[in-house]
Amino acid sequence: MSTFNIHGVAVSNGIAIGKAHLISNALLEVVHYQIEINEVTNEIKRLSGAMNEVKKDLLKIKKQLLKDSSDEFSAFIDTHLMILTDKNFSEKPKKIVSKDRCNAEWALKKQMDFFVRKFEQIEDEYIKERKNDVIQVVERILKVLLGHPNQTNQVNSESSTILVAHDISPADALQFKNHQYAAFITDMGGSTSHTAILARSLNIPSIVALQNARELIKNNEKIIVDGNQGIVIINPSKDILEEYLVRQNLWGIEQKKLSKIKNIECKTLNNKNIELLANIEVPGDILSVKENRASGIGLFRTEFLFMNRKELPNEEEQFEIYKSVAKSMRNKTVVIRTLDSGADKLTSADTTISSNPALGLRAIRLCLSEPQLFNIQLRAILRASRFGMVKILIPMLSSLSELRQTKLLIQRAKKSLSNDKILYDNNIKIGGMIEVPAVAINAEAFAQELDFLSIGTNDLIQYTLAIDRTDDRVSHLYNSLHPAILKLINTTIKAGKKYNKEVSICGEMAGDSKLTKLLLGMGLRHFSMHPSRILSVKKQVLNSNTQKLESASAKILKTKESENIETLIQKINQ
Amino acid sequence: MMKKIKIINELGLHARASSKLTKLACTFTSDISLIKDQNKVNAKSMMEVLMLAAGKNTIILLEANGPDEKEAILGIEKLFIDYFGEGE
Repeated sequence: MSTFNIHGVAVSNGIAIGKAHLISNALLEVVHYQIEINEVTNEIKRLSGAMNEVKKDLLKIKKQLLKDSSDEFSAFIDTHLMILTDKNFSEKPKKIVSKDRCNAEWALKKQMDFFVRKFEQIEDEYIKERKNDVIQVVERILKVLLGHPNQTNQVNSESSTILVAHDISPADALQFKNHQYAAFITDMGGSTSHTAILARSLNIPSIVALQNARELIKNNEKIIVDGNQGIVIINPSKDILEEYLVRQNLWGIEQKKLSKIKNIECKTLNNKNIELLANIEVPGDILSVKENRASGIGLFRTEFLFMNRKELPNEEEQFEIYKSVAKSMRNKTVVIRTLDSGADKLTSADTTISSNPALGLRAIRLCLSEPQLFNIQLRAILRASRFGMVKILIPMLSSLSELRQTKLLIQRAKKSLSNDKILYDNNIKIGGMIEVPAVAINAEAFAQELDFLSIGTNDLIQYTLAIDRTDDRVSHLYNSLHPAILKLINTTIKAGKKYNKEVSICGEMAGDSKLTKLLLGMGLRHFSMHPSRILSVKKQVLNSNTQKLESASAKILKTKESENIETLIQKINQ
Repeated sequence: MMKKIKIINELGLHARASSKLTKLACTFTSDISLIKDQNKVNAKSMMEVLMLAAGKNTIILLEANGPDEKEAILGIEKLFIDYFGEGE
């Protein structure tokens, strides 16, 4: 048994050590055999029985869903139910059993292959994708037929078990919720996949996009899942295992300490209230927002709505999603950022490939050049605004004229809603992302015309230092502690103070607990970050005295070398 | 009884619209079909409706045969005209 590592994308932090539990791909287990004529009736009965059981299961899950009020998956379950009860889906395999004398599994697979082939001929990407729903429903029936409907029941919750799967479907995700898995790892997926959202909400480590973990890992093999670094170690040697036991222990102690401060008010030693907000990618992330007691949502990215599909989302679809987030956060802030992606993500727009996409037609520039698309999103946000404390955030502003144009379009969207007699919050606050250096330098002008400012440090650093962080050859030059970056942040905070406008940071710097004290000293009072970072930043806040930090931060701002800045930061963190 | 209908909602007969259509069709006793080009599908099967892959601006033929064919055609046509309740 040799030790080896596989790398994937870490989507939920933490360390787990345990035995692999491979969730089988039922489709791979299907055996084909012919049945005798006198077995036909029984075989059909077996098939109907399995279908009924799956139907009961899905209805049960749906009922649970309503109770948990996480209606995000509900539409998926509905689709699965409709497929299951469709005569084409349920009756044809029975005919195949009696006509071709195939066993039930084989007949089901035959009919599925037929559907999949048909779906694949469809040009519409969205409808084409529905073939996966058919496959998932077939998988469920097969599992019942093969005699292991809920494999998860066999899991002994006392020993640590790590779920190894090809992918996790929404229905699976809900079932796994009630089992004590120590970690999830999957071959497929990304940071917004069901696996990722579920793992974050359960607060267990998870790594996705491992490509072929299910082939490389055997059932019951010992594995380590390092969800901080995105590494899975299979059959670890004694030394590695010991090292990881220590790390796991330290991580656990740290988490426990952090969970103790969950319900404490977020105030500094000198009694200053500090607002810690969450960044979310999809509505499902709200679970971890609440779990970590964020004081609101400081950045709701809306790109997921526009990605991986052929048709753009309509007003109703967007409205329902914004409304559900606003409602579930009740009276807490929900900052919705308008579309922040490039034209390449949108099918309706002209997709001339630019040589420099980060500097091209994207974010607010794209929205202003596609006013119809922008109007749909603005109307949807405005309509959702009366269901909570919604604010609008405009990404990638670079000039005042863009801002004024945007405000005009918001005015128009409001007017069109009034004409349609649709209610909205007329006093909705409008904020701008400070991520183009020109805007940070000129922050006062923008502070005068905006209700709040939000510094997007990731892009601000990229644009200020002219470094593409995804290019391995230059990524080491990416440096959040470059004196110029700190200056731009400082200028923005001061501008907000002068005109009495809230300033927050919503880039990665806000979630880096090593920088919390520096930023507090610079006068920052609103931080928005990944929900999993909130408690470690909060711990720093609780131990800070902003008055005392002011002079230390002022000194750092005068320092010319990044290395010296790092040393000084270590000092204030001691 | 037959009726020509133009699909006007943005996404066409995608999953949600197909499921609304199917649910409504199932409330009638008449046989109901949708015809696009040479394809004729049963309106009471979501899978068939979905696989018709009828996008925006497609013209389809709605056919109903049975005791409540009139009501069926009127009711289903209304669903199309109402953008499947999705707004524009």
